[in-house]
Amino acid sequence: MEIKVNQGILSSNERTALENKKVFDENGLFVINIMGSPGAGKTTVLEKTIDILVNSVKLGVIEGDIYTSKDAQRIEKHGVPVKQINTGGACHLDAGMVSKVLTDFRLSEIELLVIENVGNLVCPVEFNLGEDIKIAVLSITEGDDKPMKYPLIFRESRAVILNKVDLIDFTDVDMNSLRTDIKRINPKIEIFEVSARTGQGINEWSRWLLEKVKDKNVKNAVN
Amino acid sequence: MHETALMAGVFDVIEKHTADLTVQRVTKVILVVGEMTNAMPDALEAVFTVFAHGTKVEGAELQIRMIPLTARCTECEWEGSIEQHVFICPHCSSLGLEIKSGRELYVESLEVE
Repeated sequence: MEIKVNQGILSSNERTALENKKVFDENGLFVINIMGSPGAGKTTVLEKTIDILVNSVKLGVIEGDIYTSKDAQRIEKHGVPVKQINTGGACHLDAGMVSKVLTDFRLSEIELLVIENVGNLVCPVEFNLGEDIKIAVLSITEGDDKPMKYPLIFRESRAVILNKVDLIDFTDVDMNSLRTDIKRINPKIEIFEVSARTGQGINEWSRWLLEKVKDKNVKNAVN
Repeated sequence: MHETALMAGVFDVIEKHTADLTVQRVTKVILVVGEMTNAMPDALEAVFTVFAHGTKVEGAELQIRMIPLTARCTECEWEGSIEQHVFICPHCSSLGLEIKSGRELYVESLEVE
């Protein structure tokens, strides 16, 4: 006997993601999901971004890692509330893991919640967390072939941060080709060239992010 | 290797659709996978066998139906397949291409006894 099913295998995660989204919206929170390879510089970019935004916007951070709370300890030093999720082996965060730690925050006192996903260029992108936008971090030292090899993350992200541009002279990376490939996959994506180490480009990216947070706050106020 | 998490989703769906029936055995699972998902058919098959072990799905055939990546242009209505993930309309060069197919990840049907 045949049973017609036609049900998505991510539907349970999608349901929880929608519940998270509702909580975020009710509290006027703008939420970003930062994704990228291990070592791309996600945490360092975030640390520099926090230092710029901390006086303009109330922040909260969720750190996702397979093991350890090393990243949460780094973020804590910048004076923002942070919660570490250890997936214990899973290569991505899912909406349920995020939902469980939301009670640890005073959500009504946060305007921007940053979720740093597990370091991985592939898996996290399939699992919505309820975020407003996804942000990809790619370090140029990973090579300019990465967008064409891993297109989905670039297609789904609203912005991409190309980190470690201070190392350009030590690589064979063709920045034009890298930018062209990213724009082919997602013509509407914003591209920021930064060096989290020297601080280059961090201001520009932070200003863009702050605009997004304010846009959502304005919309909430109007509604 | 998030195919494990995806397969957990497949088995949730199977369980839901066979729990309240007098199903002895699941003999076939048809899974639909879009070209622009990060799911690898080989990995899905390997994980399927592990999940099925010791359940009524053990020994079932997993059939994976791949769906090509296609898009539609919001400017000129062009529709067609997307090669090399280039999302620029080949007809009018617009950047407003919407994905029509290629992001599927769902269980289509089950064969049961």
